Amino acid sequence: MTDAPATDRTLDCKGLLCPMPIVKLSKMIKEMASGEVVVLEATDPGAVPDVIAWSKNTGHPLIAQDQEGKVMRFWIRKA
Amino acid sequence: MARLLYVHTGGVNTPERSATPIYLATTAAAMDIEVGIYFTVNGPTLLKKGVAETLIVPKYDGQGAPLRRFIDQALDLGVKFYVCQPSLDLHGLTRDDLIEGVEMIGGAAFNDMALEADQVICF
Repeated sequence: MTDAPATDRTLDCKGLLCPMPIVKLSKMIKEMASGEVVVLEATDPGAVPDVIAWSKNTGHPLIAQDQEGKVMRFWIRKA
Repeated sequence: MARLLYVHTGGVNTPERSATPIYLATTAAAMDIEVGIYFTVNGPTLLKKGVAETLIVPKYDGQGAPLRRFIDQALDLGVKFYVCQPSLDLHGLTRDDLIEGVEMIGGAAFNDMALEADQVICF
C-alpha cells in the first residue's frame, strides 16, 4: 500500500475478539494527542462495522482502511 | 453524551447468560456512551464476593474465561453497576456480601434512569 497515512502509533489486536479491539482502541485514544494517528490491526471480521460505529459515536475519524489477507487495518485520527 | 441502561436478570445458574450484558456495556463505555447495568432478579448473585472468580463463562471448546475478567473490564472503563435491596433479599444477600463498585438504588431511581436513558436493553 503506497498511500497509507502517516502513523504515530500501532495497536496490534490480531487474534482478539469483540469487544477487545474497541476497548483497547478507546484506551489508546485517551493517551494520544489531538491530530495523532493510530493504526489498528485486527483479524475479527466484526471489527469492520465495530470500528465504523465506534468512530461515528466518538467523533474520532476513520481516515483509511485496508485488508491484507486476514489482517484488517484501520487508521484513526484523534479528533 | 448518549446514555444506555442495561438490565441484567441472569444469575449464577445461567453462566452462559452472565457475560453478554457486561461486555456490551463495556463496549458502550469504550464508545464514550454513559452506561450502567441494573442487576435484578438473579443478577445480584453474580456480584457476590468470590463468585465471579470461579464462575466460568462457557465456550464450545471448554476454554471459557472467568466472569471476573468481564466485570473488571467494565468497571475499569467506567460502567456503573446498580442493584436494589429487594433483589438482594431474594437471595439472602446484603450489601456487604457484594464486590466493590456496586451502587444501591431503589425502584424509583431505576425508573428515573430508564426515563433519562436513550435506550434500555434487557437481558
